Amino acid sequence: MHRKIFKPLLLIAIAGLTFIGCKKWDEHNAITDPAVDKDLFQQIGENSNLSKFAELLIKSGYDKVISSSRTYTVFAPTNAALAALDPALVADTAKLRMFVGNHITNQSYYTINAVALLRLQMLNGKYNNMLGKKLEDANISEADKYAKNGVLQVLDKMLPALPNAWEFLEKSPLAPAKQKAYLLSLFRNVFDNTNAVQIGVDPMTGNPVYQPGTDSVRTNLFWRNVYDIREESKQYTFFMLTDNAWDTEVNKFKPYFVTGTVDSTTQLSSQEVVKDFAVEGVYNPATIPDSILSKFNTKMGIEKSAIVQTIKTSNGIVFIMSKLDITPKGKFKQYVIEAENYRFQSADRRGNTYFRDRFSPVTGKDFRDVLVFRHGLALFNLNYRLNGVPALKYKAYWVAVHDNINGLTTTFTQKLGIGSATSAVLPYITVALNNFNEVYLGEFNLTTYNPVLDIYLTAANNTAEATNPIVCDYIRLEPVL
Amino acid sequence: MKKLSIKKLMLALAIFVCLGSCKKSFDLTPGTELDATLMYRNVYDADAAVMGIYGKFMGLADKYVILNELRADLLNYTANADEYLRQVSTHTVTADNPYTSPRPFYELIINCNDVLKNFIIMKQKNALKEAEFNQRYSDIACLRSFLYLQLGIHFGDEVRYVTDALENVSDINNPALFPKIKFDALLDTLINFTEAIPFKDQYPTGTTLNIVLDAAPTNNFFINKKCLLGDLYLWKGNYTKSATYYRQVMEYASFDNSLENRYTQWKVGWGGNFNHYISYTRGGDASTLNMADGWRTIFNRPYDVGYTREWVWALPYDSKFKPENPLIKLFSPIGGDYLVKPSQEIIDNWNNQQQNPITIAGSTTGIPYDARGLISVRNIGGQPVVMKYLYDYINYATNVPVNPFAKNGKWYLYRQTLLHLRFAEAANRDGFYKLAYGLFNQGLTITFSTLPTINDKTNQQNTFSYPDPYKFDARNGEIPFFRSDWYRNIGIRSRAGITPYTITSPTDSLLQVENGLINEGALENAFEGSRWPDLLRIALRRNDPAFLADKVYNKLKKDGDPLADATRAKLMDKKNWYLPFKL
Repeated sequence: MHRKIFKPLLLIAIAGLTFIGCKKWDEHNAITDPAVDKDLFQQIGENSNLSKFAELLIKSGYDKVISSSRTYTVFAPTNAALAALDPALVADTAKLRMFVGNHITNQSYYTINAVALLRLQMLNGKYNNMLGKKLEDANISEADKYAKNGVLQVLDKMLPALPNAWEFLEKSPLAPAKQKAYLLSLFRNVFDNTNAVQIGVDPMTGNPVYQPGTDSVRTNLFWRNVYDIREESKQYTFFMLTDNAWDTEVNKFKPYFVTGTVDSTTQLSSQEVVKDFAVEGVYNPATIPDSILSKFNTKMGIEKSAIVQTIKTSNGIVFIMSKLDITPKGKFKQYVIEAENYRFQSADRRGNTYFRDRFSPVTGKDFRDVLVFRHGLALFNLNYRLNGVPALKYKAYWVAVHDNINGLTTTFTQKLGIGSATSAVLPYITVALNNFNEVYLGEFNLTTYNPVLDIYLTAANNTAEATNPIVCDYIRLEPVL
Repeated sequence: MKKLSIKKLMLALAIFVCLGSCKKSFDLTPGTELDATLMYRNVYDADAAVMGIYGKFMGLADKYVILNELRADLLNYTANADEYLRQVSTHTVTADNPYTSPRPFYELIINCNDVLKNFIIMKQKNALKEAEFNQRYSDIACLRSFLYLQLGIHFGDEVRYVTDALENVSDINNPALFPKIKFDALLDTLINFTEAIPFKDQYPTGTTLNIVLDAAPTNNFFINKKCLLGDLYLWKGNYTKSATYYRQVMEYASFDNSLENRYTQWKVGWGGNFNHYISYTRGGDASTLNMADGWRTIFNRPYDVGYTREWVWALPYDSKFKPENPLIKLFSPIGGDYLVKPSQEIIDNWNNQQQNPITIAGSTTGIPYDARGLISVRNIGGQPVVMKYLYDYINYATNVPVNPFAKNGKWYLYRQTLLHLRFAEAANRDGFYKLAYGLFNQGLTITFSTLPTINDKTNQQNTFSYPDPYKFDARNGEIPFFRSDWYRNIGIRSRAGITPYTITSPTDSLLQVENGLINEGALENAFEGSRWPDLLRIALRRNDPAFLADKVYNKLKKDGDPLADATRAKLMDKKNWYLPFKL
């Protein structure tokens, strides 16, 4: 009997020991900071200084979002900061959601970690920059307050959801009319087969046939060719000219775009003017340098006195200028055509074509050129094509190295055909022996704008192999301005 | 109560019975592993032991390449490399670095010792015939000497020379059992031991280790004993002995029935049906570098005649068998970790060479770079990748693996160009500068022709006035008719299509030719595991730490390593040329 009792007793004793241990473990694990037990919305609700923001959260429905189990950082403006909030905005649900959403972001961001600039995507899709205890231009007055589902940062200013650069252009009364009208005229339907519905195959070409209306997207040429300034994740500085300044600039470039009609000249000139007007990054109006380089490497002179107004956007800044003087010399760059990248040969002579790698004692660098030797054709030529060539006078140069080709010690001639292979605009030029220098070929004048300009490298008009090779490293066309 | 007791009793009995039978159940002979007592019974067992040693040796390939190349100036670490690999490149190795531990070398050495011991026992028991014993014993003995030479190169005076079959590798740490041996004394010991081996040729035709195994001729698997002896003497500074052994290897095919083999195998000869030129499908057109044939195929050949004419020693990795190819992990950005990359230094070196002009495309200037660079290194995904070990895996035309899981490849250990460069180094030190120069530039026929060329070649194109082993007959004439064994020797730079090395001051041929030879080793044999030994040997011989330190400095400097200056200062002190020894 005694034995029978002993075993259960022992079991109970051991179990008891275990349970005592458990309790201590619980204490060890217990939450000691009460803040961590509350979600973001509860925390905001308990802070009397944030009561207005709490109301807005409830009204916009974001209260449920930040009470959820996902992690957020809420940048809550104080009641004082919200005093100036437009009641009309509060009444418009969509605008209110934009506004409140501009203060909440996914994941936890602490001020101590924001040592480098953080660009945070807010719940409304816009971005705000955080650096240390600043979010955009608002100070974080109470920082890094933990909550169960994220972090609460208290701001001394509200952050209205600004329009981006393109929204500004479209909607703001501040945007100058003429540049705006031009940019809005650039909407085109552009082929894009992402969502295209194929309805057949062209029996002649084998190309797919798409259902009309599905094979293109409507887009703006400025977005495609310069920058898509609707993009929220990046930052752009966008320049707009007042109407007078716009007219001055467009008229200045019209002589270089001589075409058959006034309209197309204006159109081309406007396009040339506007292409430099968006640059990546944000320039502060106080510290903007006196010249900046555009995407197309054009130097733009910025006179601070010509800044009429600057408008902060959600993705950068807009400068409205009364003058933005860009010289034609800055706009029109030289053309350097690598001769080995020809479009086609007048007859297929790949078997006689040598792509040669050489070292230039002049530049101290290696280069690749093209040699066609023993092609056996009079006026054999290589074609190159330039796009959008403005009406200008050009000086032409080439580097052509005749390093005793096939042991020849005699020279040969070749020429640059402008527009056609046999054009006599530029003369035949002798290719001297072992000359690695640039050779001046003469100048030619384009009186009209050329949407495409064909350039030919043409061999001598005979069939003798010693006198009709062509060889060239590159062709350089320098605008005379 | 009584019943219970009986049950307990029975249980105790059962346990006792079980325990009793334990001994038998634990002493079972394993089903798939061979017991030591059954291992060495006949020549086939001996062959298995040899293959086993080489199989284990293949596990060292990545360490071999890292030690011999990453420490030198042609190979550098990538952003993917861990701290330990960076240490190897910047000569800041800590004792816990796994890449530089001598332990795997010693494990294999002790395996070799065990095999050697058992071969002797087998011979005593007549389980091996005299000839069978000689061949196998000499092979493993040489491999062990090779491993010790490697240890000497990297650990200097810290090496422990162990010839016993130890039970435990860690015993080597016991200084009482195994004293340290100086590098120079180690060379003497290795020369004495290796010189005394009973057989110095390759496994003869008809022996069980000279067969075709899974399409690969096994003859190239095994170390070339004479190359090793040549190397040992070259390190020691006994140049004539060294050259004599190298020359014997160079003449390996001189009695071959196939004339093509006779003229080309290990003689760096032109032609045959297998050219290893740098060539362009249309000479002069730089866009037509021939990748399908010529020099690139050295590193991507089937096991054909062209392969055996080029390679003296190489071991194949096949994805169907162990061990796994460690070199793809090391070098490849596809299917590997891309841990090392070519240094800017070697890329610049290739770009500073000049190809011979091709008349039709310009007779005064040639292509301004060495195309061996375009083949040794290629850009994959915008990153420079060492390709020599990868061509069996990554297709040269598409830059992607034919089969990503078939990680085939080869460990390249000794090539005819390395043999010629080492022979030339010995010849140069023995005073035969012109011979050395000819071998790595335009070949013997051109070097020893007088100009203007005369038709009677009887007294041309040879070095008959030189003593052995520097006497060469490279005559190629019509009347009287000559086609001597060496008439096709083309020279290493000529084969690559580049202009001869420039000797600026003919009064100082010795050092200039030697510099040229070492430089050619970089251009031709880059990443094949000979660079650090080359640099170290010359620096030791000339007692010139700057020779070594400057080259490593240039690599680190050009690749933007902040430790470049510190490393140079460090390497100016000889004691820092060697790695910390910790087993």
